Amino acid sequence: MQLNTSASVISFAKQLEGDSAGFYEKMAERYPKAAELFLTFSKENKNYETMVQRAYYGVITDAIEGCFAFTVETDKYTFEKEPAKKLRDADALNQAIDMEQKLISFYTDAAEQSKAFMADVPRTFLIVARKRRNREDKLRALLKET
Amino acid sequence: MAILEEPIKGIVEVKNYIDGEWAESKGEIQDVVNPVNGKIIAKVPISTKEEIDSAVEAAKAAFPDWRTTPPVARARCLFRLKELLEANFEELSRVQTQEHGKTIDESRGETRRGIENVEVACGIPTLMQGYNSEDIASGIDEYLIPTPLGVFGIIGPFNFPFMIPLWSAPYAVATGNCIVIKPSSEVPLSQMKIAELVDEAGFPPGVWNVVNGGRTVVNGMLDHPDIEGITFVGSTPTARNVIYPRCGATGKRVIAQGGASNFMVIMPDCNLRATIPALMTSFFGNAGQRCLAGQNVIVVGDDDRFYKEFVNGVVDTAKKIIIGNGLEEEVQMGPVRDAEKKKKILAYINSGIKEGAKIILDGRSDFKIKGNYPDTCFLGPTIMETVEPEMKIVTEEIFGPTMGIIRVKTLDEAIKTCDDNPFHNADAIFTSNGRTAREFKYRVKSGNVGINVGIVAPMAFFPFSGMRDSFFGILHTQGKEAIRFFTESKVVIERWP
Repeated sequence: MQLNTSASVISFAKQLEGDSAGFYEKMAERYPKAAELFLTFSKENKNYETMVQRAYYGVITDAIEGCFAFTVETDKYTFEKEPAKKLRDADALNQAIDMEQKLISFYTDAAEQSKAFMADVPRTFLIVARKRRNREDKLRALLKET
Repeated sequence: MAILEEPIKGIVEVKNYIDGEWAESKGEIQDVVNPVNGKIIAKVPISTKEEIDSAVEAAKAAFPDWRTTPPVARARCLFRLKELLEANFEELSRVQTQEHGKTIDESRGETRRGIENVEVACGIPTLMQGYNSEDIASGIDEYLIPTPLGVFGIIGPFNFPFMIPLWSAPYAVATGNCIVIKPSSEVPLSQMKIAELVDEAGFPPGVWNVVNGGRTVVNGMLDHPDIEGITFVGSTPTARNVIYPRCGATGKRVIAQGGASNFMVIMPDCNLRATIPALMTSFFGNAGQRCLAGQNVIVVGDDDRFYKEFVNGVVDTAKKIIIGNGLEEEVQMGPVRDAEKKKKILAYINSGIKEGAKIILDGRSDFKIKGNYPDTCFLGPTIMETVEPEMKIVTEEIFGPTMGIIRVKTLDEAIKTCDDNPFHNADAIFTSNGRTAREFKYRVKSGNVGINVGIVAPMAFFPFSGMRDSFFGILHTQGKEAIRFFTESKVVIERWP
């Protein structure tokens, strides 16, 4: 599905953050060793959602191209909402890394598409992408230890 | 994605808000219809002369106390209102979509713009400061004190039911005046919601009043000796022939904002990737129902390859616009406000064709509505080529989702086309050349000028400008000009022998 309006992209971002938070909560249950880290990730997702919403509600006006700022293909960024059953720790971590990469590319692509149109929103998307890159590094470090 | 929940359920009985109370009207009752599905969402009174008189009386009675309320205390009322508007942001936005039909992005944008005016007015202790000169002669000082005048009337249009009255209202009350707002009877719910929040914010009774209705209320305001001034946004004939002269005749201050027929000048060196979305917003946003909307593009130069690329780009993008219920987040264009307005837009398109315009995207019939809604108020984007500056689709305001394409050879001709038009609300140029942009900005006689911006909507701390047939008056709404409009300059010369 293609999304063009800011409202739909912000809702999609909210959905991705919610799904990703749910994924980490499940990871925390299954891998108590790294539970604290996964629960921190889940909490951070809530912050990202708030950051994105604040940026959108703060800048949306009739002078910017709110209904024509994006060409987001949602299929490119969807991921499994739960760690697959019976996966080894390493596989589950790889699944998390894959999810983070999809989210990074969502935020980066959406920022690029809207950079001329949506004022603070693309900048916020890039901040979230950067924070998620740091998270990816943490997951890779964990994978090495596994 | 799901359709967002409607905040208005059932049928709301709209009342007047007079002297801090919700008052039923004795006037005739009209239906307020959601243009998406034809459902009645409210009943609005067409108030009587006695009712507008009683609102003015309440405002007049509230004035002495409100005028002596310190500006910092008045600002605190506005700060509370701002907080309440933020807390109810989403509901207020959805109400606009329900009563007007615009998309949820557009409604949220309108809410934000309205709140920004409240924010600016919160700075009233500084904004309202006068100035002084010590020793204009030995031992004599002179100073200016901006003072409020009394009661003001604010008459709103149908296209921005939430925002436009807020171009005036916060500044009027911040400066110590009292107000009577008359919303458009087609879309009265947003102002009713704002009045509820005004009440909650603790404004004293009589400071902020809302009287619903039509001509009787407008005439009541225009003729009332206790109304000091009027701000009006609507059509040019009403602004020019009714509001402006009658305010003059009764000695009232006036800001009368009229219609528009705006041009977007396209230079061959523009960045098409950024220009096309800007044009989509400008021409088809709010279904073309805004005085800052583009009505015609002027493509400059004889580069046929660029022209073709430009036309194909706008047509291909406009064709894909998702039309439907504005509460569905993917929808990019909602319906026009009502069937009468649709009929008028169709008549303009037909007149354009009769006068020689060639239709290349036919929004009369060539569109699909997302969802199962009647097409009563829906239109698709219409694009017409071979448009000439003297056609009615250029010289008159269409107020619908149409784009005419005019071709000229030079920037001089483009500026002349803009300037020869009777309206001068907003014109814009799209170019990557700074010199061309400066030339346009410097020479074009337009109140609001855009450079690579399709909707030249001034922020709350700038005046909402406009010239010639788009504006009648001197000072404008918003920002410092609004402060000036709502105050009289009292000059004091002081000597203590």
